[in-house]
Amino acid sequence: MYSKEELFLAISTVLDPEVGFNLVEMGLIYDASCDSEGNAYVKMTLSTKACPLHQLIMQWVKEAVQKMAGIKSVEIDLVWEPAWNISMADEHVKQALNRG
Amino acid sequence: MFSISQAFAPPFKLISPFFIVGSFFYLAAVLFMFFIGAENLSLLDAKVLGFVHLFLLGFVMMTIFGAMAQLVPVVLEVGHFGVELFYAIWPLLGIGTVMMAFGFSYPMLLPFGGVVVLIAMMIFVMEIFLTIKKVEKLTLVMSSMLLANIFLFLGIIFGLVMALGYAGMVNVDVDALLRSHVFLVIVGYIVVTIMGLSAVLIPMFGLSHGFSMKPLKIAITMVGVAALLIVASSFSGIKIFEYAGYLLCVAAMVVYFFFVKVLFVTRARKEIDIYAKSLLFSFISLLVSLALGILYLVGAGDTFLLSAGWLMFFGFFAFIITGHIYKIIPFLVWFERFSPLVGKQKVPMLADMLPKKSSSAQLIFSAVGVVVVAVALLLQNEMLIKAGASFLLFGTFAFVRSVFYMINYK
Repeated sequence: MYSKEELFLAISTVLDPEVGFNLVEMGLIYDASCDSEGNAYVKMTLSTKACPLHQLIMQWVKEAVQKMAGIKSVEIDLVWEPAWNISMADEHVKQALNRG
Repeated sequence: MFSISQAFAPPFKLISPFFIVGSFFYLAAVLFMFFIGAENLSLLDAKVLGFVHLFLLGFVMMTIFGAMAQLVPVVLEVGHFGVELFYAIWPLLGIGTVMMAFGFSYPMLLPFGGVVVLIAMMIFVMEIFLTIKKVEKLTLVMSSMLLANIFLFLGIIFGLVMALGYAGMVNVDVDALLRSHVFLVIVGYIVVTIMGLSAVLIPMFGLSHGFSMKPLKIAITMVGVAALLIVASSFSGIKIFEYAGYLLCVAAMVVYFFFVKVLFVTRARKEIDIYAKSLLFSFISLLVSLALGILYLVGAGDTFLLSAGWLMFFGFFAFIITGHIYKIIPFLVWFERFSPLVGKQKVPMLADMLPKKSSSAQLIFSAVGVVVVAVALLLQNEMLIKAGASFLLFGTFAFVRSVFYMINYK
């Protein structure tokens, strides 16, 4: 129903309030798919297991996908392997964080 | 799917009094410095003891306890056993601290203040123990929290017995107990807590990855053994235990310093904001404090110990705490006030909630004050101490202002 790119575009509206970048450009969204009946699946991670916002961030991702027309359900799979590191982020994020 | 349970996160109204009251105690401790003269500059002087308790109990412990209310579910990955108990902790700790601060000059107050502080800390320690009991498998950071709270439990028992002895209610060797009390509470609790939390918070804010936890494990183990050696020396009178404990502790702090250096070097977020600047000053203070402590151990005078203690408390402890306050309070306020509005209206980023000018003023004035007083203590110069205290006073005023700015951010 939706491609991975379309789902990533929807999720890119979710910002990490600590660093100010969206989850997609941070490289925190590993995969996303949606079947023909509107059941979406998002595989994601967080920059740290200790993130106190983890429940909220997952909820925001879910809501961002649910806003897309025809979506019936959203499954969020929070994984820790592979562990996130800065090399997974977009180049402009790396540069911005490196500049300070 | 692997998920972390962080339900039961405490409401901000429960945590905010710890930070507000803690910041006022920081200010009160600095004001207290203006009443300390050159004749008071010894480790067991009543005014110095009152001042130290005002700072350590009122500011350091109060702020750590408030932060733990928020951080325990994050670190332990379970909800609190009874988070409502924190409503009782800050008033008891505040009242007990005031009584103890004056109790060294008016000894009848001391045991009563000590008992009130004991009750506050027992509530805290028991709540943490019962929360830890819910954890199925302890990680290094969780183990450090357990160890720190065992040391705190023992340290406050020693402190209470000392307070009773100080007031003449029981006959004990106060000097022997003092060493264990100081070591268990300051190194055993405060330092081990800071060590454990560093492994969670510094990588979280700096986005550090790929570092080894082994140096931290070594440092915490060394501190634990050092604490046991110091307690053993209190009871046995064997000097070699005491000096081995001190040396082990200094070595542990050096290992810990290099662990933090790796966290700092490997961080992806290179921004030198108020948090990073505070931590830099904090860890430089730690290094200088350790150097002065080593000089004292090899025979330099008591002034070196006073200056080392000053840098450890007002340099290392104070700046690592204020630095984290600039991260924790904006997060709590944002979580409470702005997170429900995400997706509905524009919300601020956490960095927008920082008071740029007053936080910078706090850092600069306090840092200058800490350095001036450290030098003044070495020179035993009262005028210079007052000059440093004046800088610190401006710094702590700016800190109180920053705390209120962040809490009231709308």
